[in-house]
Amino acid sequence: MPNFIEKPRYSCALGGALATVTALPDAIPIMHATSGCGGNFTWAQSGGGGLQVGGLCGGLSVPSSNVQEPEIVFGGTDRLAEQIRTTLEVMEGRLFVVLTSCVTDMIGDDVRRTVEELTTPDLPVIAAETAGFKGNSYYGYDAVLQSLFRGFVEKTSKKVRKKVNLWGIVPSLDVFWRGNIEAIRSLLLKLDLDVNTFFARDDSLDRIRTSAAAELNIVVSDAYGVSAARVFEEEHGTPFITLPLPIGPTGTDGFLREIGQVLSIRKNLVEKLIGTENDFFYRYLDPLTDPYNDFDMQRYAVVVGDCNYSYGITRFLSDDLGWIPELAVCTDLPGSNEAETLAERFTHLDSGLRPAFVFETNTSEIIGHLTKRWPGSNGQRYYNAFSPAFVVGSSLDRELAASLGAAHLSISFPVTNRVVLDRGYTGYQGGLHLVEDLLGAIVATR
Amino acid sequence: MSYFDQKEPPKREDRLHACIARGDTICGLANRKGCQYMNEGDRLFTQGSICQLLPALAIMNTFPDSAILVHGAVGCGSCIHSQNAVVKTGNAARGRPAKDGLWFSTALDETDVIGGGEEKLEAAIIEIDRRYRPGNIFVVAACIPALAGDDIDTLVQTLQPRVSARLLPVHCEGFKTRIWATAYDSVYHSLGRNLLNEEGQRMPVLQDELEEIKEEYRRKHTVNVMTVSSMGRTDELELQRLLEALGLSANFFPVYARPEEMYKVTRAALSVSTCPTHDDYLLGYLKEKYGVPYIIGTMPIGIESTGLWIRDVAAFFGLEGQAERLIEQEERELKEALKEFEPIFAGKRALVSAGEIRAFVTAGLLAELGFEIIGIRSFHHDEFADKEYERLAAQTEKDYMVNIANAQPFEEANLIQKLKPDIFLGHWNGNGTAAKLGVPACVIYHTAMNFIGYKGVYEIARRLAKQLKNTAYNRNLSKHVRLPYAQNWYEEDPFKYIRQAGGESHA
Repeated sequence: MPNFIEKPRYSCALGGALATVTALPDAIPIMHATSGCGGNFTWAQSGGGGLQVGGLCGGLSVPSSNVQEPEIVFGGTDRLAEQIRTTLEVMEGRLFVVLTSCVTDMIGDDVRRTVEELTTPDLPVIAAETAGFKGNSYYGYDAVLQSLFRGFVEKTSKKVRKKVNLWGIVPSLDVFWRGNIEAIRSLLLKLDLDVNTFFARDDSLDRIRTSAAAELNIVVSDAYGVSAARVFEEEHGTPFITLPLPIGPTGTDGFLREIGQVLSIRKNLVEKLIGTENDFFYRYLDPLTDPYNDFDMQRYAVVVGDCNYSYGITRFLSDDLGWIPELAVCTDLPGSNEAETLAERFTHLDSGLRPAFVFETNTSEIIGHLTKRWPGSNGQRYYNAFSPAFVVGSSLDRELAASLGAAHLSISFPVTNRVVLDRGYTGYQGGLHLVEDLLGAIVATR
Repeated sequence: MSYFDQKEPPKREDRLHACIARGDTICGLANRKGCQYMNEGDRLFTQGSICQLLPALAIMNTFPDSAILVHGAVGCGSCIHSQNAVVKTGNAARGRPAKDGLWFSTALDETDVIGGGEEKLEAAIIEIDRRYRPGNIFVVAACIPALAGDDIDTLVQTLQPRVSARLLPVHCEGFKTRIWATAYDSVYHSLGRNLLNEEGQRMPVLQDELEEIKEEYRRKHTVNVMTVSSMGRTDELELQRLLEALGLSANFFPVYARPEEMYKVTRAALSVSTCPTHDDYLLGYLKEKYGVPYIIGTMPIGIESTGLWIRDVAAFFGLEGQAERLIEQEERELKEALKEFEPIFAGKRALVSAGEIRAFVTAGLLAELGFEIIGIRSFHHDEFADKEYERLAAQTEKDYMVNIANAQPFEEANLIQKLKPDIFLGHWNGNGTAAKLGVPACVIYHTAMNFIGYKGVYEIARRLAKQLKNTAYNRNLSKHVRLPYAQNWYEEDPFKYIRQAGGESHA
């Protein structure tokens, strides 16, 4: 681990876990934490969440034990038990998830035992160890899924053909999570699959409870939710595959083919869907042709994002839009296996381009990576500049874009300067959205 | 011995007997005979709110040429994503570049928790100093270091000679106090200990008699106006206008002040608070150590409160006559302008929720505009609120509810269902409960808007009139979304879960 992280683009395990529970249908989080954790995450969402804050039970509504010095000294389990009991009285939910924090993990509160004493079949209470020092928001997302799979999903020996679970898109930290999940889900429905996606509008706790009947778990991420998939396999025997987040035609074609193959879906069914969707994509793209060519909207690009976006967007720019991504930056630090898988993906883009790919957690260092790749002018008369250029990143990358004279679009967290409700970039329709937003930024002052 | 001789400031529960849990009425609070302070009660059911780290960071983010290094888990300081957007706008409003701030986290992990985080902190400070070259590094302790046994003060002291940035330790452990207003003391504590005592170095080498006279004149007419991000630039300009009308000039402190110029706060005729809950800790120190007298009166929000604030300052300088003329003219023009809103506001019932003083003075303002106050929620209580309770109790014909609560929106939801206000005024991230219950909401604090002084009264009135013109957004929302509370919670006593001293709950 580095000695510091500049302007971290994620919160801690508890922050990610809280956003995840808040996004589950009818679930109520209970933080076993000091009073400030809740407000801290609320302000983070308020600043970086594309103007989405909270949910049914988010923001400052989240039950929290608000432990103080006496609990630190004498232990916090009595306070937690009291808080769980009163939460069951005041809040209306069908699943209660206790999330631990730095101080309560450090003082060694036996949270599991407290939870076991208070959980009932009617009002199930489960817990996840989500102290901030255990990892970042992505870790917290994974920890909540693990705890669901261990403590809430019911065991079954029967697997149902064509029933699948899908995760890997982190609520709130992926500001476009709703749209991204919905788009993938609706494509899989067209393959006659029964898809449980946990956080989308047609998902429910009952569907999550019975999700062990799935024959396959699909993780649309090289890093997020992968440990949870292993836990699911251990607990319930369902195998999993990990695939990159499918953005636009090329990525989504590959995604659907892979799913088709693993699930032994008839090849012509998959190819028919791919054909229809590509027709749709290009029919809508068609009228853009004149402006795209007349304005020369092809751009050099720098892509800055997490493990999901850094590759997904780079691939779209390279293989669908025909841009020239020169540098891709992942601002997260995944484990070494995940890092290797991700880095390897950049070495075989269809376009034949080989953008530089780095893991970098410090915003101010990104420009240095670009300069290494594309040296600056020495004042020579003819200089092949990194221009026209585009920076696809977070709101924190606007200064990089300005220094390059490049256009900019915020997609990865923090997204401070956009309002996001159901927009998403996955699938074919997501590809169209991405074209709209990228080129929209170029012509914004027209 | 001064508090400032200690490494950390005391928590406000001890220093001011502040509390965060009570259900009462305005007359009940105003008439608390023989009870100077209340118990330190809490609740059996609580919701998350904020800790002292958040407001402290909000202040520190505004200091130019400074880096903030949060020593804690990677999530402590995530709130800066929202604060950074505010500070960018704030810088632009002050004619400075609207750039992102510079903040860092030591992102403590399991190894650091077990082995201590001092080594990592030391390496981080040295590397940040070398790579980013900030003038100042605020080294901010979150919860973990205190539990892991890190001694940031000694570390910073040892390290200072090796780095070029000035190192400023700030203690913001969330578990140490329920009263997040302790944040103001934490930041002031660090500024007071480290940045104010530079007069010697700053004295010009060549003395010039005329310059000395000018400096003396400037000092005699300068008022420190204390603001810990409780107001935006438009609010500052309104106070500046009013002070200048009395021939005085304003030195706004500490937000957006350059650390290297902060010593100037010691060279003023007077310090005046703009919110008693914010500033007493530093004001006492400025008087004690630098001989700058101070006034802690009320917050200049509302017609009467603004008048009081001006009169307090004017009396110090012997400018009572000018002040009366200024107030008379300002009030005349304002009241004339407010007439068009009178029919819109008359008899409308308002519920207000905010920080201690802001909630009470805004309620006073609403009463001046013709609203009926049906309840006030205040984030905490301490002795500075007593004057406000008395003023409001004297002003109202009907007694009304007062709820002391560090947010706790479940009590608010219950109260709103019972009281059915026509309008709700709440803090940032504090208007959602009212909104989802279909009540029009008006934000009570936002640095991009004007609330303070006479101009503030008019601007709030204008906003309220606009918001009451079409309330469809919240009304529609309430038909389709629900709050997370059980239906039977709304039937209960809203203060059921307040635990009074001695361990018994309210009900």
